[in-house]
Amino acid sequence: MSANDDQAAVERVLAGDVSSFEEIVRRWQNPLVNLAYRFCRDRGRAEDMAQEAFLRAYRGLKQWRKEAVFSTWLFAVATNFYRSELRRIPARCTLPLDDVADPVDPHPYDGGLEDHDRDQAVRRAIFTLPAKYREALILFYFHDMDVPAAARSLGLPEGTVKARLSRGREILRSRITQHLAVPRSKEA
Amino acid sequence: MKDTEMDRILSKQDEILSSSGFAASVMEAVRREAAAPAPIPFPWKRALPLLACGAVALLLVAVVGVVSIVQLVRGSLSQHLATAPSLTRFMPSLQGPIGLAVGWTVLALLAAWVSVRFSMHLAGRRA
Repeated sequence: MSANDDQAAVERVLAGDVSSFEEIVRRWQNPLVNLAYRFCRDRGRAEDMAQEAFLRAYRGLKQWRKEAVFSTWLFAVATNFYRSELRRIPARCTLPLDDVADPVDPHPYDGGLEDHDRDQAVRRAIFTLPAKYREALILFYFHDMDVPAAARSLGLPEGTVKARLSRGREILRSRITQHLAVPRSKEA
Repeated sequence: MKDTEMDRILSKQDEILSSSGFAASVMEAVRREAAAPAPIPFPWKRALPLLACGAVALLLVAVVGVVSIVQLVRGSLSQHLATAPSLTRFMPSLQGPIGLAVGWTVLALLAAWVSVRFSMHLAGRRA
């Protein structure tokens, strides 16, 4: 997959060949669905959101300025939509840490149960953060801890993203420490 | 909990694969979108002169209104009626505040009628 392939497909779509958009969809469907899944932790909703993101990208294809690679623009369009969608209807995971059902993990876990519980608690705790910290953390880890990429997707300066990451981690750490220190009433 | 540990946990997220019919479903929606007629752009070129006339008329009406109110406040009602819209001059029975109100109402109805006629005319030409 290369940026040139994307550009060529976009040019064909803009020239009237709608079916060329399928190349773009096939190339980017998994990243866009996964990004949506990280925002909402609901597979069905993630696909609906990704579909709408592709539609918005199709409608706004002329607005891609080619200053950045197509994928950067596509992620920015998708992120913008996911953020507004999640603000409209929050993810079900934005519940208190103890009330969230475990997400379905397709991969069998081979570590200790305690570590597994802690890891799950950390991932769930992200959904208890205020939106601006949650979004920065989700995108930072989605882009393999690449601050500039997360900043481009969010349309924010890198410094702002770094500050949000730092503050988000701080809040997350305090919540996890609190959560792990207090025995859960369900387990008592 | 250290940052490195947090990074390790949060980097190791569940990955999902889009369902087999996802791309087809997206393309169906895209084709529907492509087949739909393009939204009709607002005819700014044709509407602009009339909108400008409307704005000027509105401004004039506002100025006349303000002047009338000031005159009323000053208590010079008779002098005000002399400068009121010409409708009262041609219809003596409509003298006084009632005549003034009727004048404004007729003017407002006329403006609304012209606006509706013009919109219908533009819509008819586009269809």
